[in-house]
Amino acid sequence: MNVLQLKKLTKKYGEFAAVDQLTLAVQEGEIFGLLGANGAGKSTTINMIASLIPITKGEIELLGKNIAKNGKFAKSNIGIVPQELAIYEDMTAYENVRFFAGLYGLRGPELKRRAEEALAFTGLSDKHRSYPRDFSGGMKRRLNIACAIAHRPKLIIMDEPTVGIDPHSRNYILNSVRKLNEMGSTIIYTSHYMEEVEELCTRIAILDHGKVIAEGTKAQLKSIITDQKEIRIDVRSATGLDTRKLSEIAGVRTVTVNDEQNSVSISTDAEVNILNRIIQGLMAADIEIRSVEESQPSLETVFLTLTGRSLRDS
Amino acid sequence: MNIWRIAVKELMMFRDVKMLVFMLATPVLLMLIMGSLLSSAFNGSVAVGDIRVLYSDHSEDGSIGADWELWLRQSGTENMVFEKFEGSDAEAMEGVRDGSYSGYAALNPSGFHYYGNSRSSIENSMVSGILSAFADRYKLSIAGAEPELESMVPGSYVKETRLKGSHMPAAMDYFAVAVTTMIILYSAATAGNLIDSERTRNTAIRLLASPISKGEIFVGKIVGTMVLNAGFIAMIMLISKYMYDANWGDNLPMVWLVLLSEIAFALSLGLGISYIVKGKASGIVIMTIIQLACFFGGSYYRIEDNGDFVSMLAPYSPLTWSNEALMDLIYGGETGAAITASALNLGVAAAMLLISAVMMRRREGL
Repeated sequence: MNVLQLKKLTKKYGEFAAVDQLTLAVQEGEIFGLLGANGAGKSTTINMIASLIPITKGEIELLGKNIAKNGKFAKSNIGIVPQELAIYEDMTAYENVRFFAGLYGLRGPELKRRAEEALAFTGLSDKHRSYPRDFSGGMKRRLNIACAIAHRPKLIIMDEPTVGIDPHSRNYILNSVRKLNEMGSTIIYTSHYMEEVEELCTRIAILDHGKVIAEGTKAQLKSIITDQKEIRIDVRSATGLDTRKLSEIAGVRTVTVNDEQNSVSISTDAEVNILNRIIQGLMAADIEIRSVEESQPSLETVFLTLTGRSLRDS
Repeated sequence: MNIWRIAVKELMMFRDVKMLVFMLATPVLLMLIMGSLLSSAFNGSVAVGDIRVLYSDHSEDGSIGADWELWLRQSGTENMVFEKFEGSDAEAMEGVRDGSYSGYAALNPSGFHYYGNSRSSIENSMVSGILSAFADRYKLSIAGAEPELESMVPGSYVKETRLKGSHMPAAMDYFAVAVTTMIILYSAATAGNLIDSERTRNTAIRLLASPISKGEIFVGKIVGTMVLNAGFIAMIMLISKYMYDANWGDNLPMVWLVLLSEIAFALSLGLGISYIVKGKASGIVIMTIIQLACFFGGSYYRIEDNGDFVSMLAPYSPLTWSNEALMDLIYGGETGAAITASALNLGVAAAMLLISAVMMRRREGL
């Protein structure tokens, strides 16, 4: 069953189409990844789904109902975790969750219970009387999530929920997303961290210039890039490595050096076997090789190939 | 219910005790400073000590001088000492210049020449009055109609009518009202930030994503801020009344009507301008309007209707409407002005709210 269906969704600002005839479906129980560079139309799409901005053309159906005609129903069944923190610093964590949950019609003991549950879910039970101004970045992010889930929405939209937080809070949030999904919520997840999307999402859509340019499971997306393979070589020290000579080898498409990890990632044509020439090139440059790994293209490579841009650099 | 939730949320945002103390201390201190510094401008009585005046008789036969002395004896000018001076005019004027005497009256056949010390304006006015009265009497005696001086009781032939009521505001009374209305107008600055603060905190996204209407958000925020400001103003009134003994009159419901209408005016003004003038410029525009309204509205000093530039512009300040209405209400018991001022405030408030509501509906987001 489709929880969400976008039908030829279009949003225009003057002549510019931020979202252009976008059609996709999100099924019940999915964690659906929405990938796109800045300006690809991701946020505009999310804003239209959450009824924050009007639609120029097309239709959005939530649980089979057109949201333009069933605004209250749609809003009541959606929870949004905005990219930026959207909490009141002058209200305690509990008051924040209680206030936002109250806007969804919850009252009395039910409201209190749901607010406490949401705080417990995000690991903030012991901080429910504290003010967010005294919270760490990770705790604020968790409160941001708690405010979106207390009313138990069918669809949760998470827009970059792990931006700028410590690894502990990041892991907590990723686990929370999984738990929410297990509890029955369908989730739309966007992130600049490709590994998060790869780890969490069951299906992914890649947006570019307001359109879906690829959609499917991770395996399906990776299979799009059939003419390419990846070679990762770990070395003792990659500092000062001249990549030009490696790039000149016939069949090499891109060479990326990671100084921090002391590794070289080389993307090559799938049909050629040039591993020996690459290794010889590195040895000639006095680079000590520790390991070599040949693999299928990563989601990052798929994104780069399809959009011509890196997700984090965009 | 949603309106109430949002209104309560607005109230919860102001629980910071330090901020509340600061917000209360500002108007209370302003009242104290302005009420104390400018008290002389509101003092209806001026203490005048003994007035010493020199006079000389330069009439040819001394007849004027004789009449003058008779006049002085019979008119009974208390605390006013006229000393005959035999020296030159220059010497007499030197005595006036150095402050030993308030003035010097030179009697000669053509009349009086009076030289007054410019620092003694009140004393000079009183002496001039005596001299004028004598001159009138002298003319009558020349005309042959000798008045019976004994029957003339000073002041009996002049009836004085005060245009203002006998109970006038003291400086503290005036500034209790003026500072309160000024502080209310300053709430326009916070109102300008009312919706914008939701945008900058990104909470506008959550509010709009929830199943409540823009109208409920709008009204809830205004109601909350109205209640907050009303409570705040009530505290200022109580403090000024019990700390400074400021007079708020007997008709408190009408006083409240004017103040509440001004709160509505200020909030809607700030909100309206924040929609009309988008961005940070709106704050500058609001502050400029507030400053001008305060200056021309008598917040810093009482504006006298003397035809100058300031008094000509004063009627256009919203603070003038409220201040004058409150003064008339408190000291004259006139409810008409209060109703007019309230109607004006509420009329402008309704117009600004309408503009804001229309512009908000057209805008994407709040």
